[in-house]
Parts: sequence; C-alpha cells; structure tokens
Amino acid sequence: MAGTTHALNAVADGLRLPLEFRDSGRDPLVALPRTEEAPPQVKALFDDIQTFYAMDHVPAVFRWMARDPIFLQGYWGAVRAAFTDAGLDRLTKEVLALAASMTAKSDYGVDLHLREARRLGLSDQGLTEAVEVVQLFNTVTKIAGALQLQPDFNPRLLGG
Amino acid sequence: MEIVRIPEAPELAPEDQPFLEATKGWFKIDFVPKMSRVLLSHPEFGRPYGRASRRAMTDGALSRAQKEMIAATVSAINVCEY
Repeated sequence: MAGTTHALNAVADGLRLPLEFRDSGRDPLVALPRTEEAPPQVKALFDDIQTFYAMDHVPAVFRWMARDPIFLQGYWGAVRAAFTDAGLDRLTKEVLALAASMTAKSDYGVDLHLREARRLGLSDQGLTEAVEVVQLFNTVTKIAGALQLQPDFNPRLLGG
Repeated sequence: MEIVRIPEAPELAPEDQPFLEATKGWFKIDFVPKMSRVLLSHPEFGRPYGRASRRAMTDGALSRAQKEMIAATVSAINVCEY
C-alpha cells in the first residue's frame, strides 16, 4: 500500500497532473488519453477504477497509465488488491496512504487520500489524531536520522 | 554509529525517572528506547514532547495500533531504520 501510493504520487506530482478534488491550476506536462476514446479493455478498467473510488471521472494518474493498457491492467490490479479490505480495513489503509502522502509532501496524494479517507468515514477527531502522529514521527525520524541512531531492536532477532 | 553519546536512563534527571519507567511499560520492554533518552537529555524539549507524544499515541478515534501503523508508514517514507 505505501509502495504503490508513493509511486502513484511520484508519477502524478512529477507530471504535474491536476489534483482530483480541488482546482489546482496545474497544467499536465504530458497529454492524457481521453476517457471517451479508450478502447474496450481500457474502458472496462476505467469503469472499475471509477467505481472503486466512487468518482465521476477517472483519476488523472490512471488516465496517464492507460497509454500502456497492459501496464495499467497489471498495476491497477496491484493497487486494487493493496487497498481492498483484508488484514487491514480500507479506511485504515487510506489513512496510512494519507500519512505517506503528507510525509512525502505530495499534493496529489494528500488531495486524493484525504477525500478517500473522509468518504470512508474518517471523522474530524480521527483526522486530527492521524495528523498528530504524522507530525510526531516526522519529528523523531528526522532526529533519528540526524543523530544516526541505530535501532533499539534487531529485526533479525524479533521473529514473527 | 550515533554521532552523540546516548545517556543511560539513570544518568537522566531524577524527576524524569518515573516517565522513563512508564515508557518501558508503555512499550512492554525492559529497557528505555534510545529516542526517549535522547529527547530527555534536553528536558526543556523532551518533557513537553513526551507528554504530547504519549497523549497522541493513546487510543482515541483511532486505535493505538492504527497510530503505530501511521508511525511505521512515516518511518518507511522517511527511510528511517530506527
């Protein structure tokens, strides 16, 4: 989940794709395929993506990927699997994606995942708490990095 | 290796010893993590930071487990092995 979020954010912000839920004034650096001109196999993927996110349009980052339908099919399948209810519920995953996006300073990711987390039921209090944790751990990870702190736990000895 | 010496827990201020003990209980471990010791080596910073941290990580609208996962995600994005 963190991996695909980080990657999609890198593509979307790197190509200056417009934000999905706010008027960002961004001009994409590349041409995006038009949804209505998509071939049938891409149209089916677009429908699935729109339904998954309950959106009235296909997010720009997936429209970009539709330039290579086989790639889109594979990567969307992975994203879909990563964000489907499993050991973690989808809301928790969206909150984690929001944390990953804020930490990476991704405008596109914060816009998308804040809306998704809200849509799936994140309350104002839940958002406050999530951002507090993001803030705290952006503090301590920076301190740990600057001081080159070695881990307290050796992951090879933890088991599990 | 660390670029500063990390104090041992007993070297820190006597008034901080209860918090350091509570930290072991909080994490269910038998030692005080380096980060807690580093932060409390500057008590004017570490004490309020520790209070904010403990408050923020307690079960609320989000569970402590969810909050620990957020912490792990931030650590991953920041490539923080600690």
